[in-house]
Amino acid sequence: MRFVAMTLVSWLAAVAVCFVLIRLVPGDPVEVFADHMSLRLSPELVAAYRAQWGLDQSLLTQFWYWLQGFVTLDWGLSFATGAPVFGELIDRLGWSLAIGVGGMSLALLVGAGLGFLAAAKAGGLADQLSRVMAIGGQALPAFAVGLIALWLLAAQLQWIAPFGGGTVERLILPVGLVAFFSIGSISRLVRAGFAETVSAPHFKTALSKGLPYRTALWKHGRRRASIALLAGLAPDIAWIVGGTAVAEIIFGVPGLSERVIDAVVARDYPVLQTYVALVALWIIVGLRICAALRAWLEPRPPALGLRP
Amino acid sequence: MTFHSSRSSLRKRLLMSVICAAALMMPLQASVAVADDVTVGQTFLASGLDPAQGSNGWALVTHGIAEQLFRVSRHGEVVPNLASSAEQQADGSWLVTLAADRFFSDGTPVTAELVAAALNRTGEANASARATAGRLTFEALDSATLRVTSEQPTPILPSILAEWAFPIYLETEGDPLFTGPFAVEQFDAGTSIAMVPNAFYADADGRPDVTIRRIADGQSMALAFASGEVDMAFNLPVETLSMFEGDEDRAVTSFPVAYQYMMWMNTSSPALSDVRVRRAIDLAVNRDDLVLAARAGQPATGAFAAAYPFAAEGPLPHDPEAAAQLLDDAGWAMGSDGVRSKDGERLELTLWAYPQRPDLVTFQPVIRAALSDLGIAVTTQVTESPGDVAGSGAFDLFLWAQHTAPAGDPGLFLSLFFETGSARNYSAWSSEAYNATIEALRTAIDPAERIALAQQAQELIAEDAPVAFLVTPEWHVGLSERLAGYEPWGSDYYVIRPDFGAAQ
Repeated sequence: MRFVAMTLVSWLAAVAVCFVLIRLVPGDPVEVFADHMSLRLSPELVAAYRAQWGLDQSLLTQFWYWLQGFVTLDWGLSFATGAPVFGELIDRLGWSLAIGVGGMSLALLVGAGLGFLAAAKAGGLADQLSRVMAIGGQALPAFAVGLIALWLLAAQLQWIAPFGGGTVERLILPVGLVAFFSIGSISRLVRAGFAETVSAPHFKTALSKGLPYRTALWKHGRRRASIALLAGLAPDIAWIVGGTAVAEIIFGVPGLSERVIDAVVARDYPVLQTYVALVALWIIVGLRICAALRAWLEPRPPALGLRP
Repeated sequence: MTFHSSRSSLRKRLLMSVICAAALMMPLQASVAVADDVTVGQTFLASGLDPAQGSNGWALVTHGIAEQLFRVSRHGEVVPNLASSAEQQADGSWLVTLAADRFFSDGTPVTAELVAAALNRTGEANASARATAGRLTFEALDSATLRVTSEQPTPILPSILAEWAFPIYLETEGDPLFTGPFAVEQFDAGTSIAMVPNAFYADADGRPDVTIRRIADGQSMALAFASGEVDMAFNLPVETLSMFEGDEDRAVTSFPVAYQYMMWMNTSSPALSDVRVRRAIDLAVNRDDLVLAARAGQPATGAFAAAYPFAAEGPLPHDPEAAAQLLDDAGWAMGSDGVRSKDGERLELTLWAYPQRPDLVTFQPVIRAALSDLGIAVTTQVTESPGDVAGSGAFDLFLWAQHTAPAGDPGLFLSLFFETGSARNYSAWSSEAYNATIEALRTAIDPAERIALAQQAQELIAEDAPVAFLVTPEWHVGLSERLAGYEPWGSDYYVIRPDFGAAQ
């Protein structure tokens, strides 16, 4: 119950602040629309647009209506397209989730394997690869890596049709891009977790009992590695959002972020606000799940002062 | 396990990996094979099929799906399309006669009743359809004749009906139907539109199936074009054009667009209130240098791109010596530090631009250098909110991009941006002679008279220089061999037209 309450409060605070910030961005949506569509709007028409879009209400009223709508899945109408935001974003949510969750899962799978191999043989090939990928993940710009992948695999080798292929084919590069930037950091976290086990007495005991090195490492180190991974994974939850956005734009995937770029330019408040709310929900819930999993894996005794 | 056997095992595993990877890639490679239809990559895509919603009307027309009663020709003239003629009546209303033998994509004839139903619905639902002359009301007098009345009297109804908000459609229980050369077969919001030739449009057999794919990023668009995934890339960033130099299978065509680049000069700013200073600045700017900086475009001749019949003729002068003389005459004397001053005031100006049009930001240093040579110190500023800054009047010079004739008529731009007290008269300029010219333009019906008045208005602007028209920009369209005969025109208003793919 406390978990749900804390999550809700955090989310509400985040969306309320963003609601105000979005409206503080210079540029009136009606004027932006008129400019974009080369329209001459009389003051009466400007007023009509503002009333139609709810901009003539107080900020508090606007927020209250938006909040009610968000909870009841009535996310308003896009200023730019006039279409229901719910329909527009839900259609795109699947693509974004596929890229984000797919990329994260791939990164976890490959990163954890690489980290384990790196810990099993310090200084070996896996360890060096893991280090290079971690540095690359920090140093390389995602946009450039995506364009290079596109140039190499689509334009030069023509191995893949990222824009016109089927669903799976369209997801390969975006998922790969998101994963690429997390594999290195995940592998280093996992390696660090396993490395702690190597110096533990119980690990040496296991080896002395005749267990193969890797088996012993896996058996006795995976819990500690999982804890280290969960602790370090939290920042990647936010990266997934950014990485997914970059991937969607470069590879032309019709996901949430790709739509949001247009919404920023058009000052399309209903789309922006809903996107922010969804991203806030993803990050807050993700962080809390990570924290809960860590607590489950590594239960701590309550502080002495709190004992009954 | 010996060392040898270990290496052998590693080789086997590597070989297996390569075979597996190749096997995985084979079906992917096969899907790249060229299909029979034409694929168009565009940075924008209709977000829906209801033309009364948002800006869908514009997108549906530019995709070749919908048509209006009138359209703008490649020469910038308003010409009949689904209508055959329009005639203004003594009471100010208009009679519009429909063209014969025009059909919706299911074979339903286009009748006055159906047109009236569609456009009355649009007028009710979409405020954009009420922008130029207020609410238009359509009444079917018979199956081929409409009476159109407008809230505000207008002599340019055909031009208004060529605006993007007025496509003709037939409401059905499902998606609306249209009259354009292509009909929607499958609509995937945000992704693609698959289209087939409209069987009830003339010469349907000569058209290919067309798929429009949205690729929002320009660099990605260029790579999609390079990979052969799209036959047409609309449009390519200028920095990607070198990729296609010497490419025998692909070509890039550049064409001028009607989004003119200009520079407002704030006449309420102390230094710029003197017409001699404004004219000096206008003369000092070398438009060829700006074209060079943007790597594309043509020097502007006036308010409109040269393709329009009402465009001003001849190049705008570049004469730094005459500019310096004008400043001397105005009392701005050159100082020892290279900056002119008058009555102790240095001639310092602030030049604004906005990043949404990157070319304008590129122009800033070029203009600053030109004005510096003239003895004017320029500070550059960039804003994300050009409308706010320009509307507030807190600027001296402001670089601006504007489609100056979106519906093929000069009246809207010349009135909205230059008439005394007009909503977007950013330069705060006022001229009685100009106002009288625009008033005459407002009531003129004869096209030749409208052209003459528009050109006269541009001459008046040039004399007083509240703005410096700079460059007519160019866009770049990538075309595969299959579309080699395609000629882009009309900015992004008419990308896919009845002649699309006819050259195959």
